[in-house]
Amino acid sequence: MDLPDPYLPGAISLFEQLDKKLLVVLRDGRKLIGYLRSIDQFANLILEDVVERTFVEKYFCETGQGFMLIRGENVELAGEIDDSIPTGLTQVSPEEFRRIEDEYLAKNPPKFLKRQAEKTEEHEA
Amino acid sequence: MVLPLSLLKTAQNHPMLVELKNGETYNGHLKACDAWMNIHLVDVIFTSKDGDKFFKMSEAYVRGSTIKYLRIPETVVDLVKTEVNEVRRQQQREQSRGRGGGRGGRGGHRGGGGGNRGGRGGAR
Repeated sequence: MDLPDPYLPGAISLFEQLDKKLLVVLRDGRKLIGYLRSIDQFANLILEDVVERTFVEKYFCETGQGFMLIRGENVELAGEIDDSIPTGLTQVSPEEFRRIEDEYLAKNPPKFLKRQAEKTEEHEA
Repeated sequence: MVLPLSLLKTAQNHPMLVELKNGETYNGHLKACDAWMNIHLVDVIFTSKDGDKFFKMSEAYVRGSTIKYLRIPETVVDLVKTEVNEVRRQQQREQSRGRGGGRGGRGGHRGGGGGNRGGRGGAR
């Protein structure tokens, strides 16, 4: 990767990404994709036409979020995204995604649910 | 380009959704905000983290440091764009007015310089 010259470190380095399509990963694990419209010294971001991508195995689903102002401290990662690079993932509709998700959760229940199930079995035994 | 906090200021009296770091959301009209992103909402609907509890409240004050993100309606964006254009036009108007005055002043100086040069030429 070529760094711009002069390279300005810190939040202002995002200046180069203005009006580009950005993937933003929040501290809570959410993945947002949108066009970067503005930044400030705290890395507060303004994103336009935002979609949230949720993933299950090889599938993902996009839900529109519109226009967002993200408080900088919640940003874990922000980087330009190139849609022309194949990811090997398939986009599905929200309905289809819910079905896949339910199926996946039935096969792989989250750990805390498993523990609860084991406990109730113990009680019954 | 509008700084994020200026956009928030423009969004005053508009509806918005605020999600806090703890996952709670507040839907309401922005009444006021400041440089720390502290916000004052009115006619608020509060939603708990899991989206299973809802409360209506007439007012809510949110400390900026607890905010994760704000979702702002597109109408505000259009408003900002027109506002920015208006400010630019005004600046241009002021600039051209300023330039006109400056030219007059500079013209006067130039005249003086010419006089000096003439004087120097005479001394030589």
